[in-house]
Amino acid sequence: MATVTLTNVKKIYGKSTVAVHDFNLEIADKEFIVFVGPSGCGKSTTLRMIAGLEEISEGTIEIDGRVVNDLQPKDRDIAMVFQNYALYPNLTVFENMAFPLRLKKTPARLSQDEIYRRVTEAAETLGITDYLLRRPRELSGGQRQRVAIGRAMVRDSKVFLMDEPLSNLDAKLRNQMRAEIILLRKKINTTFIYVTHDQTEAMTLGDRIVVMKDGFIRQVGTPTEVFDMPEDLFVAEFIGAPKMNTFRTRLDCDEEGYFVTTCGVRMRVDGEKGELLKARETQPQDIILGVRPEHITLTKRSDPSAIPCSIEVTEMMGSELHLHVKAETGEGLIVRIPTVSFTAAQLAMLTAGTKIFVTFRGKVMHFFDAEEVNLLRKLPAPAEETDLPQPEEANEQQEAETAQASD
Amino acid sequence: MTEDERIFEFDAEESIAGGEFDLEPAPLPPVEEPALIRAQTAYGEDKGSRRNSSVRVRSRIVNTIIHIVLAVLCTVWILPFVGILLESFRCESPGLAGYLIPKQWGFDNYVRLFTETQFPRWFLQTFLMGLVTAVVQTAFVLAVSYALSRHRFRGRRLLMNLMLIFGMFPGFLTLILLRTLMQDWGLADANAPFGLAIIYCASSGMGYYIAKGFFDTIPRSLDEAARVDGASRMQIFFKLILPLSKPIIIYTVLMAFMAPWGDFVMARFMANNNDAGYNVAAGLQWLISETKVDTNYTTFCAGGVVVALPITILFMCLQKYYVAGVTGGAVKG
Repeated sequence: MATVTLTNVKKIYGKSTVAVHDFNLEIADKEFIVFVGPSGCGKSTTLRMIAGLEEISEGTIEIDGRVVNDLQPKDRDIAMVFQNYALYPNLTVFENMAFPLRLKKTPARLSQDEIYRRVTEAAETLGITDYLLRRPRELSGGQRQRVAIGRAMVRDSKVFLMDEPLSNLDAKLRNQMRAEIILLRKKINTTFIYVTHDQTEAMTLGDRIVVMKDGFIRQVGTPTEVFDMPEDLFVAEFIGAPKMNTFRTRLDCDEEGYFVTTCGVRMRVDGEKGELLKARETQPQDIILGVRPEHITLTKRSDPSAIPCSIEVTEMMGSELHLHVKAETGEGLIVRIPTVSFTAAQLAMLTAGTKIFVTFRGKVMHFFDAEEVNLLRKLPAPAEETDLPQPEEANEQQEAETAQASD
Repeated sequence: MTEDERIFEFDAEESIAGGEFDLEPAPLPPVEEPALIRAQTAYGEDKGSRRNSSVRVRSRIVNTIIHIVLAVLCTVWILPFVGILLESFRCESPGLAGYLIPKQWGFDNYVRLFTETQFPRWFLQTFLMGLVTAVVQTAFVLAVSYALSRHRFRGRRLLMNLMLIFGMFPGFLTLILLRTLMQDWGLADANAPFGLAIIYCASSGMGYYIAKGFFDTIPRSLDEAARVDGASRMQIFFKLILPLSKPIIIYTVLMAFMAPWGDFVMARFMANNNDAGYNVAAGLQWLISETKVDTNYTTFCAGGVVVALPITILFMCLQKYYVAGVTGGAVKG
């Protein structure tokens, strides 16, 4: 139950290898924050710096307002769950969970009864009461992970750190444990920092997600923000599976509004995206257009924005169908459609070689400029001017109009 | 307005194309006749059986040759042990004999060994040296290995390489210097066992290599988890790492304990000609040196058997701890 603040935190290995650049983040009390990114992006290093297992090269880390840079891990009041569980093989499950409690120094020393109570309580929560007297090697992967979580739980620490806790489990167990972590979080109700490379875990668990790459934070936001309004192309492609379709194209504007030309078909940027582009007074430019596979739909031939293409590969996922299609102009794209919307006869026809027509609407388009930055990203709010802008904008518009008129 | 309505009709949320969409099925590809795959096996019907039997004969010949070679090597290896054991029970003559099986069996040589020679003294001296070395060396080796495995400090690589290189110099190169040093300290000649114990212990950290390799296999995340849990370095080492390290502790103890029993060059040189300061190796050699071989040979053999005993017993007691996979269950295996 604490806030964690990272200010200009840097990690430099050796003389010049920078693993983490200038990491700034404020984690609120009882927030569940997820660091996500491809391997080598510095997410684990950052977590280990918070834990005190790595030295902080520059910057400060505060836990509950106290700078912890020079504190030993044990003095930071944190608990951590490791990817490989890190259970003590020579101790029973009970002793594993009691280990941190037995190490408490005299003022905070716990009685045997208290240790017993806390361990059995945690074991109950995690459903591992039956295994308390076994040794780690007699447990399955899922059970070991529960013990590792239990060992962290009994300590009632301010911050709960988890370093890819599910990545050693098989897919089915991972889904189950993911749901359990969500439940667990409600019970423990403390600050969580969770590291993963799995975007599904990030999306489902996090209150906020920190997307990292090459030691830089690429975006911090709620799962919805990160999914709907990715800051840049990397985030857009990293979050969501299958990954977002991208097209190099041009954003143009005529008297009706903005349009893009994709696979030889002119598409209007209608709806809120079009309005937003207008409001931002976006200049026509070369862009990378992104559309998520699940936002592309099949359509009629007569649809003016229909892109004719042929199916190359069909992946039947059960509840949905992933179609790898090739447009007549040569671009490849992935379309994800729910099988429930189709009749069996229709599904049977959606196989390799079949020609279909796909389309997507303006509201699902993402626009990235030459630097791969989202054109419509949330702009940093100018400080303390948020109350005033409306009259000013109106004035500006009036001024612009009068200027035009005078021209 | 109509335009909007039409678009709305196909909006992603309203209809995920379920209702109306066009497609042109691909023309069915011509069905190809599957190519006939001819099964070819190494051992056919008729030719095979002959080839099979020739293969069998050849493998039998090869096996025979291999076993003959192994039997010869085995004999060469085991004969000295059998010889010493048999000759130690020979009572009819004390010197070298041209045969292996004793004509008259008995424990006379053992009795003589313990009553008429300095062997008990040498044995005790060696045993104590072994004990001290085993304790000190194990402590040193484990500490050094753990530090080298877990801590990253300046000069760590250099130190490891240096120790490795120093370890490659034959020990007797330092003989003269060590002898002079020990003589100055009064730990040579009759007091040689004390000097030897110090020498054995002093270099013990250099044997870090195998133990470090073992510690490297214990995941670092165990240490880290314990550090987060509030354990000090000392607690981690004693409460977690040592209980997991039984095999390597036992290996180190055995190696350290055995060293003084087999050391001849250093032991002999330290004690010089003062037979009170010998260990068993130097003592037994002294027993059969020069002309004494004719009277002491069988006693020497009995000494050899007695020397082998403590080490054998020790090994038998400890071997059950040589269990693989102590760390099983610590991490995902």
